[in-house]
Amino acid sequence: MVLIMQSIQGVGVSLKHQHFQEFINHKPDVPWLEVHTENFFSQASTSSKYLAQIRQDYPISAHCVGMSLGSAAINCPVREQHLQNIKSTVDWLQPGLISDHLSWSASQSGHYLPDLLPIPLTEEAFAIVANNIKRAQDVLQRQILIENPSSYLTYVDSPITEWQFLSSLAEDTGCGLLLDVNNIYVSAHNHNFDCLTYLNNIPLTAVKEIHLAGFSTEMIEGKELYIDTHGDRVCDDVWRLYEQAIKRFGALPTLIEWDTNIPDLAVLLDEKSKAEAIITKVASIEKSNLIANTVNGQS
Amino acid sequence: MTKLAELQTNFIRDCLSGQLTPENTLMANDLDTQLISAQGLMSIYQNSAIANITNSLSLSYPVIEKLVGKDFFQVMCEQYIVKHWPTSGNMDDYGESFSSFLAEFEQVRHLSYLEDVAQLEWRFHQSSLANDNSYFDWARLAEVASSETITFLLSPSLSIMSSTMPVDKIWLMNQVNTPENIELSLDGDSDTFIVLFRQGLKTEMMTVVASEFAFLQSIENGHDFEAAIESAQTVDANMSIDHCLKKYIELGVICGFSV
Repeated sequence: MVLIMQSIQGVGVSLKHQHFQEFINHKPDVPWLEVHTENFFSQASTSSKYLAQIRQDYPISAHCVGMSLGSAAINCPVREQHLQNIKSTVDWLQPGLISDHLSWSASQSGHYLPDLLPIPLTEEAFAIVANNIKRAQDVLQRQILIENPSSYLTYVDSPITEWQFLSSLAEDTGCGLLLDVNNIYVSAHNHNFDCLTYLNNIPLTAVKEIHLAGFSTEMIEGKELYIDTHGDRVCDDVWRLYEQAIKRFGALPTLIEWDTNIPDLAVLLDEKSKAEAIITKVASIEKSNLIANTVNGQS
Repeated sequence: MTKLAELQTNFIRDCLSGQLTPENTLMANDLDTQLISAQGLMSIYQNSAIANITNSLSLSYPVIEKLVGKDFFQVMCEQYIVKHWPTSGNMDDYGESFSSFLAEFEQVRHLSYLEDVAQLEWRFHQSSLANDNSYFDWARLAEVASSETITFLLSPSLSIMSSTMPVDKIWLMNQVNTPENIELSLDGDSDTFIVLFRQGLKTEMMTVVASEFAFLQSIENGHDFEAAIESAQTVDANMSIDHCLKKYIELGVICGFSV
């Protein structure tokens, strides 16, 4: 099998099993695809066989959801086994990028919750997460990207802002950042912070990928929470925030992420076109500004 | 235990504890509860984890979901999950005991076929994850002396099961492209013998006669060829072993042997 080793560039989409045949038979024009690594732990599985075919035509990014990098569990066999499964899949898949979340799933008790659970942002947690990221990068022998998760609660003792925490992790561990613009928007609503403050405090060179997705709303005890469902189109506010992100960080690889209520592939491709239009618009404005500055400088 | 480890242990305990109340929510002192109570906040994560695990069960048990309906399936899953939380991040491994849970679940205990249909679905799921067959060496088989003891090897994707119910028909009737002319009777007195194996990307299901099932079951139990023949012919003394062996080698169900 010829593996495509090109870097991940442009606007990609999530690869879901509902669209396997469409990618194999029609090869739609998408520059790269992202998969949940955990869905391909068995390399002999039917899903992996489809992915192996698709892999011949599309660069792949491996998005993990279970390394549990925020877990304080020591010598935790659940986490260690998971990391080895990730390594085995990554060695086979040779993805352009590997990412996981600033979250935890596995506890010292040996239980595993398939969810992105929030960590308190403390000095103690920082040391644990940094250590776990370094361990993951050592095992995988490459940089991983850490994504900001959506969250629905805050801890009483959590003195560090998420943007400070992530920025310091990038500096301390050499990891990159995966900025989920929708997650910033969701958490900003739930915890009442300013999205642009978040964006403007993330170091320019740390971000290597951007995620875009949809969310839902839920009333909990009379308070409206935004819930990160990855099951809908990107909302207008998030598109505007994405434009700001592209202005700040440049035309980074961007994913249209969709994990629930999977629609026709055409819907994902339509969202992809919107992201591409924003990248083009920002590039055009920057070019116009450059010309105007040059002309003004001469006059 | 570190402070974070203790907090995470309490977080998990809250998620596993079923109905949360102000009295039993261990995370109460760790959370900012100005707008939403601790049990309200923890319920979001509890519900989200249950929804994610239910989705995983739904992928492994689509026919069960169709048979009992989406809403009731969710109720059953929630009951199952609180008793069997995942202990691995590999969700492909999760849900093996769902069939025995269904057998004991009060509201569906009268649907006696559900347990076996669930077992069949789990076997489909496992077959789809199994390693590929090795190539069967016919030439080497021809060189084996008649005095030597042969033990055949089965495909990693093979799974065999018997049921007193026509679970193959129930399964088929609940597929997207249901074959026509399936006659279903739950009052039959003959057992159903099912063989599952993967060919390429598709898991195939065959119903076989009792003697062939006994033959494959004997091999699956690690018995040699002679013992497998004996098992088959105990069921049907006139069974054609040549035909049976050739058929299962050609299908890839038998994929090797040791001498």
